[in-house]
Amino acid sequence: MDALKADMFIMSYGKYFESHHIVQIRERLLLMDDSKWVLIQSIPLKDPQTSLILSILFGMYGIDRFYIGDTGMGIGKLFTCGGFVIWYIIDCFNIESATRQKNFEKLQQFLY
Amino acid sequence: MHAEQKKLYALLITATTAGYLWLLYHIYFRTQNTDTTVCLVKSITGIACPSCGTTRSILSIFNGNWKAAMYYNPLGLIVLLIMIILPIGLLYDVILKKQTCWTLYKKAEQTLQKKTVAIPLIIVVLANWIWNIYKHV
Repeated sequence: MDALKADMFIMSYGKYFESHHIVQIRERLLLMDDSKWVLIQSIPLKDPQTSLILSILFGMYGIDRFYIGDTGMGIGKLFTCGGFVIWYIIDCFNIESATRQKNFEKLQQFLY
Repeated sequence: MHAEQKKLYALLITATTAGYLWLLYHIYFRTQNTDTTVCLVKSITGIACPSCGTTRSILSIFNGNWKAAMYYNPLGLIVLLIMIILPIGLLYDVILKKQTCWTLYKKAEQTLQKKTVAIPLIIVVLANWIWNIYKHV
């Protein structure tokens, strides 16, 4: 894939990933075949800010975890009233990086 | 055992331990009739959340009062079953160095994300929630 496309991807989706993953993602994108470009763009990546809003508003019900595809943890939060509120507070700070981690996992299936 | 699995196991162990401590606290230091809650939503808005009444439900099961348990919150039975089965499964995995819980967790997650499974379950949880609000648990 040419550098222009890789840079375009990084520019539009940069905030969806952890900063220390960006270099790795760019390297892999450059090595990747051009035919995968459409596939890469169709991955349903989740916005960390949306999950943060969901976490603050509906975190007690585990909606934030359901949103990023962490169904098991979502059920855990739902059944325990936001994990005795402690988990809710932790997730308010943690959910953005959890979302970025999940996005990276989704992308990884196509990168390697 | 890779990092993600370790993280999940640590979380599950912490959660079940917290659950048992919470139950012990209720059994030994508190009479059942006191009206206390940890639920942030209920404390602020006064509206019950989907899992309000779970503790009272489990305590009712311990007392053999199944009818009250189902009335407080049917989720109590599910949570109790999870709290009994999970530590056994985790111990089995940790001691024998297997990955049973991990693979089961991943499989369950995939099944739950299917629309045909997810939508009925969401409806059940919502119905339970509405019932919770209606009966002022």
